Amino acid sequence: MICSHAKELMAAAWQRELNTPEQAALQQHLETCAECSTEMASLGLLWERLADMPAPEPSQALDARWQSTLETLVTANKQPASRTWSLADFWPRNPLWQAAVALACLLIGIVAGANLPSRNNEIAKLREEIAGTREMVALSLLQQQSATERLRGVDYTGRLKTMEPEVVAALTQAVAHDPSVNVRLAALDALSNTAVSKSPGNRGVLQSLTQSLPRQDSPMVQAALIDYLVDARDRQAVGTLRQLAAQPDLNPAVLERARFALQQLGQ
Amino acid sequence: MTTAEPGTDHERMAAVARGNLDGMNEIYQNRHRPLFRFFFRLTSRQTTAEDLVHEVFLRMIRYRHTFQAEPEGEKAAGAFEAWMYRIARNTLADHARKHRHEIAPGDGELESIASNRPTPFETAAKRQDLALLHRALRELPEDKRELIVLTRFQGLSYEQIGRILGCESGTVKGRVFRAMKELGSIYSDLCKEKAS
Repeated sequence: MICSHAKELMAAAWQRELNTPEQAALQQHLETCAECSTEMASLGLLWERLADMPAPEPSQALDARWQSTLETLVTANKQPASRTWSLADFWPRNPLWQAAVALACLLIGIVAGANLPSRNNEIAKLREEIAGTREMVALSLLQQQSATERLRGVDYTGRLKTMEPEVVAALTQAVAHDPSVNVRLAALDALSNTAVSKSPGNRGVLQSLTQSLPRQDSPMVQAALIDYLVDARDRQAVGTLRQLAAQPDLNPAVLERARFALQQLGQ
Repeated sequence: MTTAEPGTDHERMAAVARGNLDGMNEIYQNRHRPLFRFFFRLTSRQTTAEDLVHEVFLRMIRYRHTFQAEPEGEKAAGAFEAWMYRIARNTLADHARKHRHEIAPGDGELESIASNRPTPFETAAKRQDLALLHRALRELPEDKRELIVLTRFQGLSYEQIGRILGCESGTVKGRVFRAMKELGSIYSDLCKEKAS
């Protein structure tokens, strides 16, 4: 027997868990191994000494506390649980019935949704109010001192579903007179996205933009304006374009763009 | 098939697990003292040990559904003890985590069981050798102390301890031997210190 196994048997012997063959095997090992024999003697004695240590006792307070707790728990456990209803109680177990209920719910939803005119009106009214508020915000921002705020105003006009004449006018004014090149370009871009400003019926917008063309100090704005007029097929801008192309100090890129525009507009 | 004997705590706990709490008081009467001693020997604090005993019985009710009422064959024997001591060890571990900065009371600081009279432990601790043995046990690492408490003081078999700790009984025997050897070494040092 090796010592490690003997140590396990020693621990079993202290606990009185050895059977007869194990006891004999351990005894045999202890007779031949001095180290294990010494350990068995000293640790066995210590094991017995541990039994002399007194057993501490809990106080009566623990009993009282437990009795009180148990009484509460038993009382709570004996009270009949109140029946609570949930949707699951009404849900059929048969898959066919489940499908039927789901279909019925869907149909009810569709019918109910289609028969809510007053609600639809309310929603439409609300949408109008929101659009009006956005328009007001956009116009207000376009009046701001800060170029950044005016740019935000131009950006806000992009969120409007329909461009009201007031907004178109404000954007046209911005293209013609705004001191910031960026605001002018952004405003022109916003106008380009709306068909209203390019329609032949909206002469005022096209006229204002055409008139502002020679006054623009930025070649970039001039080039963008020329593109806009070509895109709108505004033949009445030909005269202004000719005058622009005749300017001796005109930016070559703008000149080229003006000549191209004149060709496009049939001149 | 259940092999638990009728009228045992195993059966009572099985009834509790089914929702009948009537047997819980009897389980408490049978088990609260051993549990108190287990906690007291590991914490050296009277009030802490009592709090932990109370918590164990509460957890036994709270987690009663985890008690396997019908283990088969040999597993039925001692199944209740193993389950109860697993709860006890978890309760102690949770307590240790919450109070890890607290210092265990020293020899002279051991709380008395009842404040107006000397406790059996205090009386016995006056015997020098037992006081030294108690000190040696306290100086033992927690896991080794727990092993000695479970085997020597709680009277559990190696088989039961193996089930509580989740290892083979042979492993438990080897660990108990090493714990005893370390205890002997500490005790011997303390005796030498005292003599010098």
